Amino acid sequence: MDSSSSSSSSLSQQPDFDYLFKLLLIGDSGVGKSSLLLRFTADSFEDLSPTIGVDFKVKMVNIGGKKLKLAIWDTAGQERFRTLTSSYYRGAQGIIMVYDVTRRETFTNLSDIWAKEIDLYSTNQDCIKMLVGNKVDKESERAVTKKEGIEFAREYGCLFLECSAKTKVNVEQCFEELVLKILDTPSLLADASSGAKKNIFKQKPPEADAAASSCC
Amino acid sequence: MATTLTPTQRYAAGALLALALRQAQIHQSVPLGGGSADDEERASSASGGSSASTATSSASGSDAVADADLWTHDSRGLLRPVFRFLEIEPQAWAGLEETAASPEAKHHIGAFLRIIFEEHGASSSDRLEQEHALAKAVDVMAMSLGSGIVPDEKIKEEGKDSTTSSSGTAESPEAGSPENLLGIDKLTLDDVPAKHHRKMALLYALLSACVADKPVSQEEEERKSSHFRKGYDARHRVALRLIATWLDIKWIKMEAIEVMVACSAMAAAKEQEQERETASPKSKWEKWKRGGIIGAAALTGGALLAITGGLAAPAIAAGFGALAPTLGTLVPFIGASGFAAMAAAAGSVAGSVAVAASFGAAGAGLTGSKMARRIGKVKEFEFKPIGDNHNQGRLAVGILVSGFAFDEDDFCKPWEGWKDNLEKYILQWESKHIIAVSTAIQDWLTSRLAMELMKQGAMRTVLSGLLAAFAWPATLLAATDFIDSKWSVAIDRSDKAGKMLAEVLLKGLQGNRPVSLIGFSLGARVIFKCLQELALSSDNEGLVERVVLLGAPVSVKGEQWEPARKMVSGRFVNVYSRDDWILGVTFRASLLTQGLAGIQAIDVPGVENVDVTELVDGHSSYLSAAQQILEHLELNTYYPVFAPLPVVSK
Repeated sequence: MDSSSSSSSSLSQQPDFDYLFKLLLIGDSGVGKSSLLLRFTADSFEDLSPTIGVDFKVKMVNIGGKKLKLAIWDTAGQERFRTLTSSYYRGAQGIIMVYDVTRRETFTNLSDIWAKEIDLYSTNQDCIKMLVGNKVDKESERAVTKKEGIEFAREYGCLFLECSAKTKVNVEQCFEELVLKILDTPSLLADASSGAKKNIFKQKPPEADAAASSCC
Repeated sequence: MATTLTPTQRYAAGALLALALRQAQIHQSVPLGGGSADDEERASSASGGSSASTATSSASGSDAVADADLWTHDSRGLLRPVFRFLEIEPQAWAGLEETAASPEAKHHIGAFLRIIFEEHGASSSDRLEQEHALAKAVDVMAMSLGSGIVPDEKIKEEGKDSTTSSSGTAESPEAGSPENLLGIDKLTLDDVPAKHHRKMALLYALLSACVADKPVSQEEEERKSSHFRKGYDARHRVALRLIATWLDIKWIKMEAIEVMVACSAMAAAKEQEQERETASPKSKWEKWKRGGIIGAAALTGGALLAITGGLAAPAIAAGFGALAPTLGTLVPFIGASGFAAMAAAAGSVAGSVAVAASFGAAGAGLTGSKMARRIGKVKEFEFKPIGDNHNQGRLAVGILVSGFAFDEDDFCKPWEGWKDNLEKYILQWESKHIIAVSTAIQDWLTSRLAMELMKQGAMRTVLSGLLAAFAWPATLLAATDFIDSKWSVAIDRSDKAGKMLAEVLLKGLQGNRPVSLIGFSLGARVIFKCLQELALSSDNEGLVERVVLLGAPVSVKGEQWEPARKMVSGRFVNVYSRDDWILGVTFRASLLTQGLAGIQAIDVPGVENVDVTELVDGHSSYLSAAQQILEHLELNTYYPVFAPLPVVSK
């Protein structure tokens, strides 16, 4: 996968990509979502403070012969921002669930909390889910086996990879696999082509017509 | 800075402002409830595309955040200073900006509101107490503001039922029923445990952040992206209005908060001034960090002159002195020690010199100063204060422009009855010419035309009925030469006066506060020309908050309506009367070929068209009907409203 320069402020006037994909990173606080994103978009690794609310990065990539623009939303894992993440599931073509292989609770929370959130809030029926176990560089502290990860992935019908944002292992592969799968799913592509970007709105739920506004 | 909001809540508050700003910008071209849901979606989905090209629904796939036309964009200087004031971590800014700019922004509103209201763990009882105190103070303030506008309130109350059932008179394209007006997931809002005091704390914090001097970081200074205007940006006010609507807060309360923030800003500015005398000079950036709020530029002599000079501190102090005992009983710990204490209770002293300067600058600026440069032959161009809201710490200005008058009084009379909490000024311009042309029209009416019409029957019927059909007998038209010459001079002057008005606004003589421009007849043309002038140079969108044109002699085609619309952050109302045949006759050349705003609805995205044919049966009726029309427009409502007219009274 060759990637063009990443920037969060491409000044492109004409759509210079074939598809725009919205990807979402979720998972407990401290599992390394932001690090993963930083590694992917800027190829660097550093100590990051907890994400506040949501962060956003753009990366242009060429995968499967297509020019793709990835808009990746990085959400805060902290409990206090939990309500916030719910609205970001909307319209996402791909969702990456991240856990820390050295902290078991981050893995169990995926099924207890995060998978349920996806079911509840995602608007794309076919959206591609991906399970990612981060921090495999700390092999000695491992608390979740790869087998467990694979089983979880099978149960929830999602892709699975283990990676390390620190050592760069499998980071690009995560995103590449996810994107390839999205490219394989026609229903997701319809929304994502640069021209049909606005179709996302057609999935808007019917207006709550009973609610009257009283503003005066 | 201390505020009653927790860091998370401040984050959400910043997000809400960002969302509101973006939504307000969308509503510029597609007013809430103005169009069908489809329209709204189209607009918001085209959001990535340039909002500059409202008409061309460009399927631009350009990066939303990269679009410098967005109000949320960094280059606009509307958001980041607020974020900084709210002490939101810079790393979170990009995410917020992108969120606000994203096409699904509307769906995030509920989530952010939820954060503000649901987070309670961290809120100590101390905070809660402060919030309650603030809410009480706002209530009291609103009451004191409200006492002056009882009639208005009454009308609103009366009109309320009928308003909700949508009006038939409002010709605005498919005046939508207000049910889905807010366009956000109402459900998510309904089950939010909305706490009144928290709402107040939120609005107070946001407003403080909006009016505070915009401190510029060194990094930004280097990039020279710091052409930010000081003061209270009209777009901020519109965004706050939208947030207040989301929160279901009456605007009067927001106005109360405005006054409070203004006063606490003044108190802080004075304090700072005293401090400055002892403090040793430090670098700009450090100074900001230390002061928290006050930008270095504001510490220069000029601004301070404005504070100490034209300032009507006594008036404000008196106002609060009267309030203090009341507050003391209501909120024990505030005590009766005046406003400084209340500001402390409110938690955030918005020490904005810019705001403080508002009073002084406006007092001296609008009324005192003569225009340095005269444009063309305009001889008279003068602002006069009307109403009693002056030097009361009002953070919004209304400029009212008449354009049809029989004597000088007619420049203020139409507006005198209108109760509103704006600091109001009338613009008296070229009264000689206006009176001349108005009188000429009158004379014409009472002479030959009247004779003819008398013969045919009741004058009234003829005026409002027969002639409205645009079927003017040739004999009537023949008599208009006399008017034409006077009229064309007046038109010329109004165009020039418009330029001068634009210049005044650009200079910030209104005290860098958002302006509502309201004018009728040629006055409406002055305003329109002013907007066009503003549109010529970039980055003037933050000056004008609302515009109402009544019976405007402005052609529909051939004028730059859309750029003019963009200069207005909030509502843009075109009030017209199909029976305004005087306007039709005098402006007939344009009318026949290009259409005329004062007589028909204009099809410009985002312009509300209101048909007042039932109230206005001739051009001069605006003189008497202006107040009623304005009241029915309910300008303080965020979305288009025209309360149905009472069963034709006249």
